[in-house]
Amino acid sequence: MRKTTILATVLLVLASSAAGWAQKLTDQPGYVPLGQLDLFPQDKLSVEINIEGALLSLIAAGAKQSEPEFSSLIAGLKGITVQAIPLKGVDESMVRTKIGRTVHWLEDRGWKSTMKVRDQGEETYIYLKEVDGKIAGLTLLTLSPGDEAVVINIVGRIDPAQIGRLSQSLNLPHLKQVPAPAPGKKPEKLEKPE
Amino acid sequence: MNRHQHDPSCDEALDLLEAYVDGDLSADEVARLRSHLEGCAACAAELELATRIQSELRALPELDCPPEVLEKVRRAGRGEVVPFVPRPRSMGLRIAAAAAMLTLTLGGGALFLRLQAQPDSPSPQEIAQATQEAKIALAYIGKVTRRTSTDLREDVLQKRLIEPAARGVSRSLGGTQQSEKEH
Repeated sequence: MRKTTILATVLLVLASSAAGWAQKLTDQPGYVPLGQLDLFPQDKLSVEINIEGALLSLIAAGAKQSEPEFSSLIAGLKGITVQAIPLKGVDESMVRTKIGRTVHWLEDRGWKSTMKVRDQGEETYIYLKEVDGKIAGLTLLTLSPGDEAVVINIVGRIDPAQIGRLSQSLNLPHLKQVPAPAPGKKPEKLEKPE
Repeated sequence: MNRHQHDPSCDEALDLLEAYVDGDLSADEVARLRSHLEGCAACAAELELATRIQSELRALPELDCPPEVLEKVRRAGRGEVVPFVPRPRSMGLRIAAAAAMLTLTLGGGALFLRLQAQPDSPSPQEIAQATQEAKIALAYIGKVTRRTSTDLREDVLQKRLIEPAARGVSRSLGGTQQSEKEH
């Protein structure tokens, strides 16, 4: 009887692990359905990044030796989504309204505001989703008048301090200039700003 | 005096032996058999063996048949349909079987979803591109926080997320204590 109980427990654990393994990105508590929220016009996006699942594990594995902190951050993530839109030629007030709507959507679903900045037309919001005392999602929304609007949703086990450290060490204009590596070659190592 | 193999009367006698031992022969048959056995040592030896086997079988202990089996046999004998009732299995086995089914179902489903979601493994170029994109995402956060002169650090989180939550809890606790005092 005891053996049977142990066997049943093991099988149940395996079953729940299998269920967890199969959990989709959209089922994660830190996931924000940016597509459904219709935040930015899709045909005007200047940057669109969607990374999820096994690709994140492969990125983490590839960076383990050369960039251990970046690797450990990525290893805990389930998904990264970035959408950016240049505000030239776009109805800025409409984008502003949609950002406001998304902020309400987040607050209605228990996301906690970590940063709200409204200064000379510029708006920036950072929200965190907390589950059982751990941060499971980060969403950043920003609008810089005449420049661009950006939304970022990072899903998974997040250490904000680690994200802060890494994000400060990466330079966006430089990244944009990095060419895609030739087939079979390792990607170039990014220069870190001083 | 060994007539056993070729004498037709021996064949008849051997056919009657079992019934004789069981006491099922008529008086005429018993008389005829005895008359043969007196003159046939081989058949007499067969009789002795049959008698010994029967007495040894009778000496075996009797086994009690389970009453439900007896009842089934009786009902079957009366032409009634006897339903099959499976033996009750232990609860542990049932749980193990259910867990095994659950594991197979969820494991199979998970594998199916994985295979559906990722039909191909990403190429090294795709991984390198995704690495750059992940860094772009982080760089955007860096750009925004630099622009707003803030940083995602523990102290910012402490100030903006944890402390307000803690204050909210203290306020509600304080409110409770206050109302208790009033009572």
